[in-house]
Amino acid sequence: MVALLKFSPRRPPPPPLSRSPLAVQGLTVAYGGEPVLRGVDFVAPEAALVAVVGPNGAGKSTFLKAVLGLQPRLAGRISCYGYPVERQRRLIAYVPQRSSVDWDFPASALDVVAMGLYRRIGWCRPVGARHREQALACLAQVGMADFARRQIGQLSGGQQQRVFLARALAQDARLYLMDEPFAGVDAATERAIIEVLRSLRQRGRTVLCVHHDLHTAPDYFEHLLLLSGRVVAAGAMAEACTAAALEEAYGVRLPAGGAAVGRAG
Amino acid sequence: MTARLVDLLLLRAGYNSAVVVAGAAALGLAAGVVGSFVLLRRRVLVSDAIGHAALPGVALAFLAGVALTGSGRHFGLLLLGAVASGTLGVLLVQAIRDHTRLPEDSAIATVLSLFFSVGVVLLSHIQTLPAGGQAGLNALLLGSAATMSLDEARLVGGAALAVVAACALLTKEFGLLCFDAGYAAALGWPVRRLDLMLSLLLLAVVAIGLKTVGLILIVALVALPPVAARCWTDRLGRMAALSGGFGALAAWLGAAASSLWPRLPTGGLIVLVAGGLLMLSLLCGPARGLSARRRSRPP
Repeated sequence: MVALLKFSPRRPPPPPLSRSPLAVQGLTVAYGGEPVLRGVDFVAPEAALVAVVGPNGAGKSTFLKAVLGLQPRLAGRISCYGYPVERQRRLIAYVPQRSSVDWDFPASALDVVAMGLYRRIGWCRPVGARHREQALACLAQVGMADFARRQIGQLSGGQQQRVFLARALAQDARLYLMDEPFAGVDAATERAIIEVLRSLRQRGRTVLCVHHDLHTAPDYFEHLLLLSGRVVAAGAMAEACTAAALEEAYGVRLPAGGAAVGRAG
Repeated sequence: MTARLVDLLLLRAGYNSAVVVAGAAALGLAAGVVGSFVLLRRRVLVSDAIGHAALPGVALAFLAGVALTGSGRHFGLLLLGAVASGTLGVLLVQAIRDHTRLPEDSAIATVLSLFFSVGVVLLSHIQTLPAGGQAGLNALLLGSAATMSLDEARLVGGAALAVVAACALLTKEFGLLCFDAGYAAALGWPVRRLDLMLSLLLLAVVAIGLKTVGLILIVALVALPPVAARCWTDRLGRMAALSGGFGALAAWLGAAASSLWPRLPTGGLIVLVAGGLLMLSLLCGPARGLSARRRSRPP
């Protein structure tokens, strides 16, 4: 995939775009005239785990959705590996919030994971035995191989979250955007997610993860994007996660990299 | 009486009634299959809106037929009118939902009642006309398989099978759309176009259901079979297939019964059978039925 992109780009890239996994310039997003994000600049490094942190209504989910094209942007440029993000959909995997779907849907865990393969399967073609094997391998990566045939509503919240993660893995993308994968999950799921994040980083992938727990963020992620309607701080966790920055974002005094702040939406 | 019903059910009661019953069954199949996706996309009421919104178009098509040929009973023309005004109704629902603060159900209620009252006024006007053929027009509201000609039944059957084929090809895409439209959009699937395709297939079902089920009851044939099917299975493909089977069975039995008692509205009979199948499924279905409620769920 990497080689393909290097040697056969359909068009030469416009020069000013950064080659990094995700480069955002001057991103502004509004809901009904009310700006949620203003002038966001951010560059994600290669092979990095980035925590997207901020108080309620800081625009964390909106940021991911704007990158994915799910939320129209008023202004700004977003590039992914050197090309406008619209042309790079195949390189981006997405883990939406678990509450965004109806888990009563008539599908097994394997069916849902196979959805990550649909782009590669193509229009009007059925999911074949080979695809089911690939999906099963992705379920195994999150420790869910035994639940492949289970209807998704019969899974626990943590297991459902792992199914979503496996679906993103099935996309075999290079940039992963995850919206609160740690929200309300059990310890086993938390460990499984961390393991997956680390193996993704090892394989050179970049992960942006909306995270609400300031307490664990420095342990799981080495980069930070601190949002509060704009970028308050960004960069390596050790330098960006300062008491002053956190106080600015949350409006209250917090020890640097310390106390957990309530769940953010 | 019983022997005649058996003949009708087994398509032995003459070529004409066999084609009409088979056409109805194909319609039921298409309604059940499309209905599965429409139900999972939470757009069932849209089919009600389309059905009611189609009435003024049907009435105008009838008037156009009278003006042009002296008779308003051209099935093709009536279908065209139904599709045109049904489309207008759906677009209006979407416009209201997208550009005002009204939620979708209010938009549907508004459009449905507005179009239907225009249709009813036009119908009363038609009934005062001296032109022939208006006697059958009331049947379009509640269905009347007995008034169906051979060609009409063939057209209905062919169109219904085309709808089923389209759904079979797009099962994977529609499934993704229904389960997680946001994820589908993030992956670059054309969500709006998929929604449009589903709406068009639904529109086709409503239009060809004109004479069999009628415009008012078509929503039942779209909604009841998939709910019943969901009681028996936890898999999308099986649900759509089973729902199509239930729809076909209901339409088959209903159409056969209405050939036997031509004064009863076919649509009502079909929906009664579909309702019976739903009751049975709710009571006995292993996946979601009452008997399944007793099964314990993991945390």
